[in-house]
Amino acid sequence: MNDKDVSRSTPGAEAVALMYRRMAITRAIEICMAKHVRNNRFSGWWHPGEGQEAAGIGATAAMQQDDYLFYQGRGCSWAIGKGMAPAPILGDLLGKPSGATGGKGGGVPHWSDYSIGVMGEGATLGSVYPLAAGAALAARLRGTGQVALANFGDGTAARGTFHETMVHAAAWKLPLIYFCENNEWLVGTPLKQVSPTENIADYAAGYHIPGVIVDGQDALAVYQVTTEAIARARAGEGPTLIEAKVFRKHGHYAGDPQHYRASNYLDTYRDPLDLLGTHLGDDQAADLREQATADVQSAYEAALAEADPEPDTIFKDLYYG
Amino acid sequence: MADTNSVTYNAAMGQALVSAMRKDDSIFVLGQGVATGGWFGAEKGLADEFGTDRVIDSNISEAFEAGLAAGAAIAGMKPVINMGFGDFALIAGDEIFHKLAKWRYMHGLNVPMSAVVIFPIGTMNGAGPEHSSCTEVLGMHFPGLKVVVPSTAADAKGLMCAALREPNPVLFHSVNTLSFQRGDVPADDDYFVPIGKGCVRRAGTSATVLTYGSMVSPSLQAAEQLALEGIDLEVIDLRSLVPIDWPLVLESVRRTNRAMVVHEAMKTAGPGAEIAAHIQEQAFFDLESPVLRVAGKDVPLPQHGYLESLCIPSTAEIVAAARQLCLG
Ligand SMILES: Cc1ncc(C[n+]2csc(CCOP(=O)(O)OP(=O)(O)O)c2C)c(N)n1
Ligand SMILES: [Mg+2]
Repeated sequence: MNDKDVSRSTPGAEAVALMYRRMAITRAIEICMAKHVRNNRFSGWWHPGEGQEAAGIGATAAMQQDDYLFYQGRGCSWAIGKGMAPAPILGDLLGKPSGATGGKGGGVPHWSDYSIGVMGEGATLGSVYPLAAGAALAARLRGTGQVALANFGDGTAARGTFHETMVHAAAWKLPLIYFCENNEWLVGTPLKQVSPTENIADYAAGYHIPGVIVDGQDALAVYQVTTEAIARARAGEGPTLIEAKVFRKHGHYAGDPQHYRASNYLDTYRDPLDLLGTHLGDDQAADLREQATADVQSAYEAALAEADPEPDTIFKDLYYG
Repeated sequence: MADTNSVTYNAAMGQALVSAMRKDDSIFVLGQGVATGGWFGAEKGLADEFGTDRVIDSNISEAFEAGLAAGAAIAGMKPVINMGFGDFALIAGDEIFHKLAKWRYMHGLNVPMSAVVIFPIGTMNGAGPEHSSCTEVLGMHFPGLKVVVPSTAADAKGLMCAALREPNPVLFHSVNTLSFQRGDVPADDDYFVPIGKGCVRRAGTSATVLTYGSMVSPSLQAAEQLALEGIDLEVIDLRSLVPIDWPLVLESVRRTNRAMVVHEAMKTAGPGAEIAAHIQEQAFFDLESPVLRVAGKDVPLPQHGYLESLCIPSTAEIVAAARQLCLG
């Protein structure tokens, strides 16, 4: 862990409250979606991220608004953490025109908002490593000081693009952060069965970059290591590989019976929302949760009430100009 | 006619890059060997003028190169990447055909996304089955991309100028056999050949030959031979495969009532299959004869130069097919 020249940072009370609020929104969307998928026809798959929200919330809290985010599609903590509202996310999940993609649907999410650096998701996993490097190179060429963060799962660390991209990013000291959420599963295969190492962070050594392991259920710890990695990147010291040890509370997709998991696997689960809540007063936490639940419910109802997209949506955004 | 200079095909691409890079800071060039002038000379001198910050050598990493282009493009830059060989499109298939082609569409974004991907294509005397493929048809099957294949040095410059102003990703196929061929190239820095516009290389009345890239010149030679027999071919250089200049194609076919497609790419499910199908859908009752295809053989290209030459259309084959087309 490289912490020698970057001072330890803890967010102020207001920042912690914002993180909590956003995590609570994420959680409310999770609860809302779990029910929605159970009771309705749903296009695509919903990959629940409940219980795994601290990584996305903690990391995005360390980013500036114009830093570039490329995320992987479990849950919605990354997009919400970066500042997207529930409406474009839920609108999209329900396939409505108010959704972030304008009605194309979000079973596998493609939410983006370039005004706040949410650049999107590549549903072919591992495809965003080079894209994030491209955004980081753009920032370098323009001299803006922005950084780019590529988020991915433990299984996705096996992709060739992981290596191709980091070879260059490390050689060129690009302002790029690799952020792995290691939940120890890729669908129904345990990581340990298909990986030479338990820690994805071990790969960093080969690229001569720092590899940092952090408790991914602890949003403040994630915030801290990400802040340090970003400071390094902005200072021209190059990439960092962060590995957050997280917990996949649910199945790979909503409805996954998870026959492959031990019956007591939840025994070691620690709820990231409760953990972050210990840094807030009880009343404040309860108020923020209540508010988040109400905001999500009204966004959900608005999306439900909305008409389906027009048929000509299928031809939209194919070519510009 | 405007001022022209005698310039090679690849140097003409380079001219377009230089003039565009002087005006537009957002353009950068990346690929294997580009900082030392490019494997085939298209990037010669670029690093001297623009420095290695903007003319960037990459390691052997095609997926990275193409993915980086997509990421830089959505971050507002105009990347130009040289992929070395058209064959390598398959190594970077996800990055080109999903990311560059679909990113904007699947995210519902109405924003410009400029990127030029250079693919040198085609046989070059024994480069073998993995360094000679004509892969341009791939770009036709993944909406979201534009696809061009210049056949002259002037078009190499004009289409590159157009590609560098295009707000959509462009697959720019340079033809290996033409790389060092000279042509008269307009000196104008902004010489511009619009994407999606074909041109009539030879006007004629007996039949329409639809071709592009390496097969334009053999098609014109075939036309000259056949002129001696009283067969007067119209030769259209499509120049762009996405979009195809259908008004030009259909006007010609409706006038000559006969059509054939000639390309180096493999016949089965090649560009000619789409072109022939489109013509019969749109102009069936104007046709006197079935639309013919003269195309590459459906085999991996042999390493042996002589065997390789048997796999791609010769002038004699084009002549024979045109006779069949016109005389039945
Ligand atoms: C390139 C690619 N291969 C396979 C898949 C199918 N797939 C979707 S999610 C997933 C598991 C990913 O595991 P991991 O990266 O650990 O993320 P997690 O699901 O655990 O969040 C797979 C294999 C895909 N979308 N893309
Ligand atoms: Mg996983």
